[in-house]
Amino acid sequence: MMWIFNSVFGKIFVLLFYPFQSMSPWIGMILISFLTALLMLFVYRSTSNQQGIREVKNKIKAHLLELWLFKDSLSLTLKAQGKILRYNSKYIGYSLKPLLVMIIPLILILIQLSLWFGYQALDPGQKAILVVKLKEGQNPLHIDIAVEPSSGIDIEIPPVRIEEEGEINWRLHAKEKGIHDLTLIIDGRRITKEVAVNQKALSRISPAKVRRNFIDELFHPKEAPLPGNLPIKKIEVKYPSKSMNLFGLNLPWWLVYFALAIIFGFTFKGIFKVEI
Amino acid sequence: MKKNCIKKVKKGTKKGTGPFFFMEFSPGRIRLSRKRGLSPFFLIVLLLLVFSCPLHAYVGPGAGFAFLSSFLIIFLTFILALFSFLSWPFRFLMRVIKGQRAYKKSNIDRLIILGLDGMEPSLVEKYMSEGKLPHFSKIKKMGVYAKLQTTTPAISPVAWSSFMTGTSPSKHNIFDFLSRNPKNYLPDLSSARIGKPQKIFSLGKYDIPLSKPKIKNLRKSIPFWKILGKKGIFCTILRVPITFPPEKFRGHLLSGMCTPDMKGGQGTFSFYTSDKDKIKQREGGINIPVTIKKDKIETYISGPENTLLRKGEDIRLPLAITIDRAKDKALLEVSGQKITLNMHTFSDWIKLTFRPGLGLKIKAIGRFYISQIHPHLEMYLTPLNIDPEKPALPISHPFIYSIYLGKLLGSFITLGEANDTWALNEGILSEEAFLELTYSNHREWEKMFFNALDKTKKGLVTCVFETTDSIQHMFWRYLDKDHPALERGQAKMSAKVIEELYEKMDELVGKTLEKIDGRSVFIIMSDHGFKSFRRGVNLNSWLHLNGYLSLKEGKKESEEWFKDVDWEKSRAYALGLAGIYINQKGREAKGTIPSGEEMKAIKKELISRLTGLRDEGDNSTAINTIFDRDELPSGPYKENCPDLIVGYNEGYRISWDSVTGKVNSTVFEDNTKAWSGDHCIDPRIVPGIFFCNQKINAKSPSIMDIAPTILELFGLEVPSHMDGQPLIDVQNLSFGYNKKRRKK
Repeated sequence: MMWIFNSVFGKIFVLLFYPFQSMSPWIGMILISFLTALLMLFVYRSTSNQQGIREVKNKIKAHLLELWLFKDSLSLTLKAQGKILRYNSKYIGYSLKPLLVMIIPLILILIQLSLWFGYQALDPGQKAILVVKLKEGQNPLHIDIAVEPSSGIDIEIPPVRIEEEGEINWRLHAKEKGIHDLTLIIDGRRITKEVAVNQKALSRISPAKVRRNFIDELFHPKEAPLPGNLPIKKIEVKYPSKSMNLFGLNLPWWLVYFALAIIFGFTFKGIFKVEI
Repeated sequence: MKKNCIKKVKKGTKKGTGPFFFMEFSPGRIRLSRKRGLSPFFLIVLLLLVFSCPLHAYVGPGAGFAFLSSFLIIFLTFILALFSFLSWPFRFLMRVIKGQRAYKKSNIDRLIILGLDGMEPSLVEKYMSEGKLPHFSKIKKMGVYAKLQTTTPAISPVAWSSFMTGTSPSKHNIFDFLSRNPKNYLPDLSSARIGKPQKIFSLGKYDIPLSKPKIKNLRKSIPFWKILGKKGIFCTILRVPITFPPEKFRGHLLSGMCTPDMKGGQGTFSFYTSDKDKIKQREGGINIPVTIKKDKIETYISGPENTLLRKGEDIRLPLAITIDRAKDKALLEVSGQKITLNMHTFSDWIKLTFRPGLGLKIKAIGRFYISQIHPHLEMYLTPLNIDPEKPALPISHPFIYSIYLGKLLGSFITLGEANDTWALNEGILSEEAFLELTYSNHREWEKMFFNALDKTKKGLVTCVFETTDSIQHMFWRYLDKDHPALERGQAKMSAKVIEELYEKMDELVGKTLEKIDGRSVFIIMSDHGFKSFRRGVNLNSWLHLNGYLSLKEGKKESEEWFKDVDWEKSRAYALGLAGIYINQKGREAKGTIPSGEEMKAIKKELISRLTGLRDEGDNSTAINTIFDRDELPSGPYKENCPDLIVGYNEGYRISWDSVTGKVNSTVFEDNTKAWSGDHCIDPRIVPGIFFCNQKINAKSPSIMDIAPTILELFGLEVPSHMDGQPLIDVQNLSFGYNKKRRKK
């Protein structure tokens, strides 16, 4: 079920970003931030007590003005501060309902965005670690596991089995551009894991393939889950993280998304008559 | 009356390992902060920040909206508090250096003045004797009750100007609601002048102002709150008449009477109707005919004049009305808002945004009332008030004070002539609706007043309520069984209206008494009293019929504002509510009477002929006396005073036509309007009231004595220019009542 949902939901983002894949990631980021802001505004307007928020904001503003108007009176200044904090708590209280409503769609959006903006595909010639995480109680030294090189990916050294961590690592060597399927042979069964090499500016990269589990599948939506009877719970490629470059400054994508959505939200709240 | 004549003058896990790396926070950061020894406040802020990061991750921008706003508020509060704490010792020191430690010499901590415009002594005495005003009686027992001498003439702007300055009208320059322009014989508003911007940039059809319009307060002399402020005594002045434009001083002020509406007048209501028979010329308002198509109406709100356009025209705001006949209600759509309004119910204050062009916005507020839905729609819209939260003109000092009140208490009426007496006079509002609107305004002022009382533990609070004046003007006829308006006008109520008004004011006094403690002095006063207005005297007609005012050849009557008067043959004219002017040579544009002996002679003649003027139709004396300005207290602005001031007898007043400069052959006429009580008569018969919780040393206090009394109470010297005398002997102040209260 989760995999079906992930496939459909993921396709929406593929369609959304399709025209911007060869362009700067900023274009896609601006678009999704704008759409998120609109969604937020809609949710805020539909679910929050708009009149209550308006009134409580007015009270806060009034008591802020009171700090100035009665600046010569320490007692009034202190009382005004107390009231500001009290009304601020009330304001946060009014924001809780829309926040709760927003949590689920936003988690889903953020998960999808992390695939598009969180990782940098490998460059030809670049090396990366492939980690196979075993299920609890499984000993890496006793697992029969091997990785088959593909036309685009080489396996450089034999696997490193780390008993304490319950994992087995390989070092990959990217050779050719494209989405390559690495084949892992576990107890005689063949499992594939995609590896992205030199993709477009805006592309969807799946760092991990996980076992069939609601939470794990939710957070790793691109690839179909691992069969349940395998002794492993996750196959992960350690891609370099991606950042948004702004005048030479590397910013985390989520920070840019967060900031842009807020800016768009505040910019358009007047047009959509939403009290935030 | 006053409003009428004024009107006519004319907006992942770890970094890089999964999608939720940012969901975690590092406790180490907090420890690091502690090691650095940050203040508790910074620690709280830091904790909020750190704990907020994971929240952002879960709910993203949604939390961002709330967090950002909340954090900014906390941050701003902290900065302002810090500034307040750090600067307080310096400000205290500055006050000491400037000698502003006025409370050191003050005989009291707090003075509260409750102004009840037009409260009539005879009614107060009657109701007190009947036990209907227990709180007034209580104050009388604690201190004093007396009649308060008013000014000549007994008109609110004049009297309240004398109240605030402690001077006679010749020193504060306010003699009426209106003053006349001797160059064209037309009236001007006496209290303020709003000029056009001096610098204008013309661009196409636009005239873009590069400077603010000049707003000038024409009231002279110094109000007592300015003197108190200079000595560091904090004052809150609410709705005292003739305080527009607001003057700078150390305190807070909200302008009262004479504050204009958005159209620049003293209040113009809008009447929407689909009944063609109801479309007629209206005093104090405009008609907006509407057409109903399938229960829908597309109409507009007539807003302020678009001064951006070279060819001035009113800005129109689209208004859509959908009628629900079955449920007796309508849906109003205006300025992006949808308001469902039931019949016979006032809407809340609705914020209206007018767009004159070039992306500018002008903000106003108004209230709607549907008086009828079928067969015809009839809807009333209050005059467009300046929005206190976004004032198009300054209506308070400091400027942010009205914004503060608006944010704290909600939108409120800002118009000077707040209660729409003309809407009742014109039959647009019923008596019940008028009372509902008036008491609604009253409640707004009560909130402001009690907020000011709560905030002022030391200093002065003054608030003037015009509720008493408006309701008595409009319902006095129920106290006068012989009033012509009872037979011919709207008369569904009873004398109970006035009685209830006085009882409500007593409740207000009672609530105020509960707030009094410590060394507080409490004064309740009115600027004048009230009497019946049965008959109107058209002085201009009398002057015409007696050869003092000539009409142009062939004319037997003159339209408004002396349109058909032949000034070159005229010797005198009446303008305003009580004044007669001599057409003096060298002063008036077409003056005929030379100054000096001829001037004295004509004044003497008019005094002689008008004093005791008989109304044969009613077999009564219409005019008691005529006051010669040369015999009134002198002052630097005496030249602006009417040459003669008419002291009408009880039951009389200047007629509606005479005020607006109409001349005809009728001198006396019945007053059939709802506006049935008045005070623009002989000042000796309309004194105000004076209550104080302290004894006074005068038998016949005057309104001019209030300002010197206030200064004396706060231990300040009374300036020599003041005409009044302190009423309270500060050596005999007694706060026994308050001590008992405090013990309890």
